[in-house]
Amino acid sequence: MQQVKNKLGVVFFPAFDWAISPTHPERQERLLYTMDQLKEEGVFDIPGIREYKPELASRQEIEKVHFCFPDVLSNITDSHLISAGGCIKAGKLVMEKKEDKAFALVRPPGHHAMKVVHGGRGFCNINIEAIMIEYLREKYGVKKVAIVDTDCHHGDGTQDIYWHDPDTLYISIHQDGRTLYPGTGFTSEIGGPKAKGKTINIPLPPNTSDEGFLYAMENVVLPILDDFAPDLIVNSAGQDNHFTDPITNMNFSARGYAKLSEMLKPDLVVLEGGYSIQGALPYVNLGIVLALAGLDYSYVKEPDYDPKKFEMDKRTMDYIKRICETARKNYFSPPQSSITLEKDGNWIVRNKEIFYDTSYIVERQKEYILDCENCRGVLKIESSSSRVKNCLAIEAPINCCEKCLNTAYMEYDKAKEKGYSHIQFIDRVNKKVLR
Amino acid sequence: MLFGIDVGGTHTDAVLIDKEVGVRAYVKIPTDPDDLLGSIRGAISEILSQEKGVEIERFNLSTTLCTNAIVQDLLEPVGVIVSAGPGIDPHKFSIGNYYEVIPGGLDHRGTEIYPLDISHANKVISNLLDYGVKVFSVVSKFSPRNPVHEEKIAELIQDKADFITLGHKLSGQLNFPRRIATAYYNSAVWPIFDKFLDSVKRCLEEFKLSPQLNILKADGGTMPYNTAKRIPVESIFSGPAASVMGIFGLCDITEDTIVLDVGGTTTDIGVLAAGVPLIEPENVRLKERPTLVRAMKVKSIGLGGDSAVRVNGDKIEVGPKRLGPCMAKGGDVPAFLDALNCICDETYGDKDASFKGMHKINENLKCSLEETPIRIVEQGCKILKKEVSEFIDEINERPIYTIHELLEFRKIEPKKIYLMGGPANILKKFIEKEFGLPVVVPEYFGVANAIGAAIARPTMQAELFADTEKKIMTIPVLGIKENISKNYNLKVARKDIQKNMSIYIRENLGWDIDLSELEIIFESSMNMVKDVFTVGQDIRVKCQVKPGICKDYENVVRCVCNR
Ligand SMILES: [Zn+2]
Ligand SMILES: [Zn+2]
Repeated sequence: MQQVKNKLGVVFFPAFDWAISPTHPERQERLLYTMDQLKEEGVFDIPGIREYKPELASRQEIEKVHFCFPDVLSNITDSHLISAGGCIKAGKLVMEKKEDKAFALVRPPGHHAMKVVHGGRGFCNINIEAIMIEYLREKYGVKKVAIVDTDCHHGDGTQDIYWHDPDTLYISIHQDGRTLYPGTGFTSEIGGPKAKGKTINIPLPPNTSDEGFLYAMENVVLPILDDFAPDLIVNSAGQDNHFTDPITNMNFSARGYAKLSEMLKPDLVVLEGGYSIQGALPYVNLGIVLALAGLDYSYVKEPDYDPKKFEMDKRTMDYIKRICETARKNYFSPPQSSITLEKDGNWIVRNKEIFYDTSYIVERQKEYILDCENCRGVLKIESSSSRVKNCLAIEAPINCCEKCLNTAYMEYDKAKEKGYSHIQFIDRVNKKVLR
Repeated sequence: MLFGIDVGGTHTDAVLIDKEVGVRAYVKIPTDPDDLLGSIRGAISEILSQEKGVEIERFNLSTTLCTNAIVQDLLEPVGVIVSAGPGIDPHKFSIGNYYEVIPGGLDHRGTEIYPLDISHANKVISNLLDYGVKVFSVVSKFSPRNPVHEEKIAELIQDKADFITLGHKLSGQLNFPRRIATAYYNSAVWPIFDKFLDSVKRCLEEFKLSPQLNILKADGGTMPYNTAKRIPVESIFSGPAASVMGIFGLCDITEDTIVLDVGGTTTDIGVLAAGVPLIEPENVRLKERPTLVRAMKVKSIGLGGDSAVRVNGDKIEVGPKRLGPCMAKGGDVPAFLDALNCICDETYGDKDASFKGMHKINENLKCSLEETPIRIVEQGCKILKKEVSEFIDEINERPIYTIHELLEFRKIEPKKIYLMGGPANILKKFIEKEFGLPVVVPEYFGVANAIGAAIARPTMQAELFADTEKKIMTIPVLGIKENISKNYNLKVARKDIQKNMSIYIRENLGWDIDLSELEIIFESSMNMVKDVFTVGQDIRVKCQVKPGICKDYENVVRCVCNR
């Protein structure tokens, strides 16, 4: 009989009746063989590993995190409510100590969904990790959270949501943005003025295999986590770094993913991307499940895996080591920005242009963050997209000071006069959303 | 006429049911655990002495023989030969004394990824034969997708073994460790069960009876003699299923319902969802090993008539242990039944002994002597209530994989309780109070299990799996593997499984089944995509004949218990 070291809850929801389109990577078939493999291995019969079904996230839980324009419902389907609800369920299992760890093996994914949502980006509409984390913060008072994103694509959505939050450490290991969607996630991206060093990017070159990933884990991720000492570690476990993935160029293996999970010891794991649905997902998911539960995964191996084929040359490893060194410094001694910040009174301003590749929408944003000495500051975003124009978003964050909260309400009252097409005001202090 | 018999751990119950008048005769005799056949013979002769010269059409037997053999380790040594491929180390699923892993493997689509090492297999087999192993179980990972490795290994043993179980013939469900355990137990109980079945047949001949002989299964259905000889493991845990089938037959139930069968050491909790017994394709555990045996969703809890009662602090504890019989039956420790004995008008065994037991309990309690048995019974009902609601929660927590099902999900919310077993009549008002639900104690509740056995019909489940890229269709449990065209689709698949099951049922179970009885319980057809092109369909259909009762007998057994 196999003995688990950690009790593991798996919220498994393959959404067998949902696809972006019939032949899209994000289609019904995606978790079919993963289900077959997990069932055939009898994983859910192992004492200490239990399968759960997701709950449905509510509109309120989404509105707490996202500014959705024109509104939540026109941006999502039931499948999104379920995958976000699956994450919330996983979070509850751990917070209520029913399980030591939980894995939300759900789809569709979420890490490309940003703070403002006008449509789908990179197969994501809402950020399921962020919805879970903010739910856990509000319900259980969780404070410091670390998100380690091991999807092959840079999690630009999660980065955007937590850009200004010093209590959320976001670390992303991904394929270099010069060679892959979404084209971001460079070492120079280190977080907003109040959260410098709380966003860490580790862009790895194409063809990086186990050695490179595990080097980054050991030399960057683990030391940073040690120092940050989060209350909760969340792993955005995309599986598209796999050597068989059809839309990326990395050489990570199932056993590598298992080893990574074993090293990271996340409390919560959320499936993100991963589109090699036959050659990778069954083995990677099995490896992750076994590693999380603390079971032997040494027999988990893709049929066509030959580590010799993926050995890394010294030059590439040296390059990776340099990237890792920069990423480390970004956390332990974040560089002061060389560009002077654009300011508008007390507001620090950023201009952004966002492309929604899945929904084919372009959005222009002007983002304001109030430069406050006492808290991370009120967030205000003016947003216009090719779908909905002239929207305003205001957020008073969870630990917002009283002055900022008053400012937020004043801004909201002022905005009502100004003829915006849509206004959303998130007041996390009083747990309210006004529209 | 139907003859139903349930050879349980303590009692053997038998009934004779007539198509015109219903229950014609019934008996309850003690079971002799060392001579089950003797108990069967005894029950038959008692029934026949009440009703002479009857013509018995079907003889349906529910027996604990296999369950006992497993619990008592009276098992034949089995050569278990598995092949696996990547995943969890197959040595972790080792069972029995002769467990061998042969190199070779298939993937989740049934594609061979490592060829089977035939020479290794031959070596292993000849070693096992040298050790005197006569029965074998052959299981490969993903064999329901492609049985080729199991078949190849079986070919090597064929002429040298008394009996071989092939994993894929047991179930089309994916679960390698369960398939291994199920195949192991199937072979391990085969010799003893095979002999037993033959002697039951001879016994019937001695009584000049030549009915169709059927064995009851854990899912509340029957299997004929010939099938039972091939898959004896399906006969385990048929007792609780027989009881639920009895209630199902006796009472006309349409709502969510709980069935409680209070026995000597345990109470079995069964559930009917909208009047239909809940079946699980994989429910039964044997010696802690989960199996693929399809079974009625029944939970046994350690609370019965003989459950020991004691006082801990100021709290009364009932069960889960049994420390010998209750005091009324000569035991030393006060038990649940002693409490019941003291509050009912009738007398069970030595009532004075039961009172003595209550005295003993009362010494450590603050309440009056009169109140003591009532508090014990109330405590027992509290335990029942807690267990039942956990059980219902567990059922309602079952995983679901489609958005449609998740949104349409209907929770089970019991509206009524059917109570059976020895102390049912006394317990009724206590259970009613604790659960806040109406409780019905049906007529003939004492032999509801035997009635259930008598009126049960065959049940079956089969899974079809088609891959239009590989152009193959398989129905593992029927041993069907066919080539199909690229245009094969869900509609054809549905027809195929129903057609093949009805042929099987007609030829092997002698039942001309109506198509409407072949219920499709799951179906899916998914695009398989390579790059951006659809290369085929992955089609899956599950079809079942759910537990039911013989239509001809439905009206005569139905009692007026829905008061
Ligand atoms: Zn990705
Ligand atoms: Zn402030």
